[in-house]
Amino acid sequence: MTERAKNEIVKEKSRLLRGGIAEGLTHVETGAIEEDDTMLLKFHGSYMQDDRDVRAERTKKKLEKAFSFMIRLRLPGGVVTPGQWLKLDDIAGTYANGTLRLTTRATFQYHGVIKSNLKRTMQAINAACIDTIAACGDVNRNVMSASHPFLSKAHKEAEKLAIAFSDHLLPRTGAYHEIWLDDQKVIDTSPATPESEPIYGPLYLPRKFKTVIAVPPDNDVDIFAHCLGYIAIVEKGEVVGWNVTVGGGMGMTHGETDTFPRTADMMGFCTPEQAIDVGEKVVTVQRDWGNRAVRKNARLKYTVERVGIDAFRAEVEKRCGFKLGAPRPYSFTSTGDPIGWRQTLDGKPADKKWHLTLYVENGRVKDTATVKMRTALREIAQAGGVDFVVTSNQNLVIANVTAKMKPKIEALLEKHGVVIGTSSGLRRNAMACVALPTCALALAESERFLPGLVTDLEDILDKAGLREEDIVIRMTGCPNGCARPYLAEIGFVGRSPGLYNLYLGAAFDGTRLSKIYAQDVNREQILALLEPIIKRYAKERTAGEHFGNFVVRAGIVAATTAGNNFHENVVLAKV
Amino acid sequence: MALPPLPKNAPFSAEDLAFLNQLVQRSTPLQRSWLSGFLAGLDAAQGGAGAAAAVQAVAQRPRVPLTILYGSESGNAEALAYKAKKLAGKLNCDAKVVDMGDIDVAALAKSKNLAVYISTWGEGDPPQRAVDFYKDLMSDAAPRLDGVKYAVLALGDTAYVNFCETGKKIDARLTELGATRIHDRIDLDLDFAKQAAAWTDALLEKFSPAVEAPSATVVHVDFKGVSADDEPAEPLYTAEDPAEAEVSALVNLNGSGSTRETYHVELAVEADGFTYEPGAAIGVLPENDPALAAEVARAVGLDGDASLVLKIAKGYDITTLSRATVDAFANLTGRTDVATLTDAEALAKFSADRQLVDLLATYPEKLTAEQLLGLLRPLPGRLYSVASSIKAHPGEAHLLVGAVRWESHGRKRGGVASTYFADRRKVGDKVRIYVKPNRHYALPADGNRPIIMIGAGTGVAPYRGFIEDRVETGAAGKSWLFFGERNYTNDFLYQLEWQEHLASGALTKIDVAFSRDQPEKIYVQHRLWEQRQGILAWLDDGAHLYVCGDEKGMAKDVDNTLVKILAEPLKGDEEAGRAKLKELTKAGRYQRDVY
Repeated sequence: MTERAKNEIVKEKSRLLRGGIAEGLTHVETGAIEEDDTMLLKFHGSYMQDDRDVRAERTKKKLEKAFSFMIRLRLPGGVVTPGQWLKLDDIAGTYANGTLRLTTRATFQYHGVIKSNLKRTMQAINAACIDTIAACGDVNRNVMSASHPFLSKAHKEAEKLAIAFSDHLLPRTGAYHEIWLDDQKVIDTSPATPESEPIYGPLYLPRKFKTVIAVPPDNDVDIFAHCLGYIAIVEKGEVVGWNVTVGGGMGMTHGETDTFPRTADMMGFCTPEQAIDVGEKVVTVQRDWGNRAVRKNARLKYTVERVGIDAFRAEVEKRCGFKLGAPRPYSFTSTGDPIGWRQTLDGKPADKKWHLTLYVENGRVKDTATVKMRTALREIAQAGGVDFVVTSNQNLVIANVTAKMKPKIEALLEKHGVVIGTSSGLRRNAMACVALPTCALALAESERFLPGLVTDLEDILDKAGLREEDIVIRMTGCPNGCARPYLAEIGFVGRSPGLYNLYLGAAFDGTRLSKIYAQDVNREQILALLEPIIKRYAKERTAGEHFGNFVVRAGIVAATTAGNNFHENVVLAKV
Repeated sequence: MALPPLPKNAPFSAEDLAFLNQLVQRSTPLQRSWLSGFLAGLDAAQGGAGAAAAVQAVAQRPRVPLTILYGSESGNAEALAYKAKKLAGKLNCDAKVVDMGDIDVAALAKSKNLAVYISTWGEGDPPQRAVDFYKDLMSDAAPRLDGVKYAVLALGDTAYVNFCETGKKIDARLTELGATRIHDRIDLDLDFAKQAAAWTDALLEKFSPAVEAPSATVVHVDFKGVSADDEPAEPLYTAEDPAEAEVSALVNLNGSGSTRETYHVELAVEADGFTYEPGAAIGVLPENDPALAAEVARAVGLDGDASLVLKIAKGYDITTLSRATVDAFANLTGRTDVATLTDAEALAKFSADRQLVDLLATYPEKLTAEQLLGLLRPLPGRLYSVASSIKAHPGEAHLLVGAVRWESHGRKRGGVASTYFADRRKVGDKVRIYVKPNRHYALPADGNRPIIMIGAGTGVAPYRGFIEDRVETGAAGKSWLFFGERNYTNDFLYQLEWQEHLASGALTKIDVAFSRDQPEKIYVQHRLWEQRQGILAWLDDGAHLYVCGDEKGMAKDVDNTLVKILAEPLKGDEEAGRAKLKELTKAGRYQRDVY
């Protein structure tokens, strides 16, 4: 038998994702669970983490690491009702660290839930009619659709597909209900488990699998950064079908050039009726063809890279029993969110509602001394009559606001110090992952570092007269790329505390990856490197030319035309 | 069988004593009989009439029966009782020491002479083990005690309003029941040692007047010997004669962001013969916060006197406010406004959460150093349940010290001893300590007995010592820890050590209750109730139950829950459950160390 990654063995022995999780919860002497079970727990929507800020002091204090759990919701489409919002907010205060974290994949995360509260938090989430199944793990994770479903009929179709596809690919194991929701299923210890996984099989996928759905011209979901993408083809306001992309992904490993971020390939066109079937077959081809020996090469992007898009398409078509159509024309303009109010795009003028896209720095809904966003949103939810939509840029839409309610919402926000606009175009397009102190993978700060860096850069932009210019800037604490830094015009990836790799030259519309420009640079070096480039951009840009395109045209970095040349043509800046 | 040695205080040099002991040890009964006759005859032949008379008098006087009854919380009253017994033995008394926890009130009627050593704790309550006795004594069912001669020594703490309350009540009740007080009661504060000794001397003199005789020749030797578990061995190091220790580790065990501040303190003691049993308490002679001492001095216009400030900081109690102090201050200053405070109600109101410094600052007067010191009592020691086994850590004692801090009447305050460690001691510093044995809180002699240990917060301290001790002695008995605190992540005291003990099997089970991790408060008693089947099964196997921690905050609820648990198999009859728990107490299987 060929060598298998450790996770494969854990999955195989897990009795469909049960493992020793239930038993681990009963061990009160530790706030942790067994290492193997931490892998399985991801399939249930939770990561074990520890507070890395306090790691150093713990042993001396005769305490184990400050373990806690991150819980991520499965929220295809990203919509929650005011009633759900209030329940989710309560959970944040009762069991988590008092904040709601909106993620780059349009859902909520809780941080800091301790083991003894894990089960009751899961139950509280369930009481809000939301679950966390497959929010993480080697399965089809949360499905994002273009924000937001109330904008037009096509957007609603995108949301419907997101929900339907997510449900279609839900794991069928009873483990989740059994462990968390006291579903009184007897754990069968005999080798054959009563349930089966008709799509995934007992080993699930080789690696995580991410699906998104875009409605042009917005590429807010970053379609090319994901395993599977659907691009709505809209004719006369109706979705006539979907262009299907495969093989995108962000993660890589520092210093290993056989790992790289990759923009997805266009696979073809399918009709609305075929969409779920096509997606399922993409999943099963990856299930069978994906690399189960080397985990860092296990994602779909490496499978597509290895076999080529044509062979991959052919296999999907074979399994579907029909051919895909030629991709239809579409065009994207940007990956960001339009911050502020906008109205429903279609329908009768009298029916049009208002929608407010609120910039949420780092996606962190919290109360500070001056800005009480959590309180403001809770009060808006209490008033009711709106919907909340999490965007893929970790912002929040307060949707379906009547003209009458609009000033009330504005007043509530103002009362709690929440400003609708942002201080600059750069900040409007800024995104950072969680990183320290909770994320186990983080090599450097991200969420706690980027806002200050943006403030410093704003001074430079001011001098260059570019404060309002939309420039996409993203940071992650590790090369895994949760905030999709390789698709940012200015991207940072943590290397070690205080040091980052600087990437430049991605396309504003999310179609081209960036290129490394400088290695292991600190805050001062970052500013020193970027200042002349920004100044040059201000002087030399052509009309409407975005920063990412400019740095390529100016030869500051070479263009990355595909994932497989991400590591090529690199000329590092001297620092 | 070995014979008891000659008493150490026999009028011989150590060398002679050793020689005599050797001789006596190997002598036959016939030889001893011959020798005693010979020596008696020798004195008579030499004309030593006095001595002969003395011997005769002692021999002829009937021995005086004496019941020494004690009720003790921290062990002070118990220690005094045993000291009295020793002395009484020399004075021709047949003394027996009885713990109130072990005697029926009805039995008192039979005692002709009764010496009572009783402490008061908390807000005027009897010691826990004495509660039932006290209730019975106060009840209508109490026996008549006509013909009983008695005296009461009361221990207390002037820092509490109801100073020596239990002693006063018992004294009054004994008279009510017809007993005759033959010696006036004495009420003693924390520095009781000298006065207590004098009182005992005087009392015994009344019970059994000494015969004029060269005292050295009248020696009472208890030939029955003293069994080890009857009379506690007196520790070498006491509050009056402490050992010096060096702080070798001082760590706040609570994680950053905790609402608690609990210090693990390791003390290295080089003093000869320093030892303790797990379950014992270590007394610490702390020093005050010098800033507070300076403030006290400043309040009476003596702020320039550095040596006075030092003296106060090191040796005087300035963090309490007793009636005695207020009285003395009123008399000293002649202030009528202060005098009005001495009314019980007014005093209770003013002294609530106030200290000496508040009195002096509220009623500013210039005093001399002598006048100021005259208002103060010596700074008492503070007791901490030892958190280590000396077998596991030779020459060390570990303490678990919860820093006590609060704010009242606009001032930040701190517990004297706890902040002494938290703020004013660092590794390498010296502290003065002593040992306070607690034979009512000890591991079962049989290492195979299961133990169930219940503790919240610093109440977990003795269990660390218990488990360490069992590891060292290879005791095979099962052990089960119930631990409670506020937050799991930051307040799980000694978490890594418990994990190791669980892994090695030294600790069999653990259950935890963290009150503030979830909306509803979960305390140890809730875990006990959840685990009641297991607890009953362990008790059936002969388990000993231990409770350590705060009485009001925990021990009372735990006690009630144990009653409920014991009542469950008895159709929920709580009376029967209570009786069952009492049986366990009498059998030494339910032991509490609460404060």
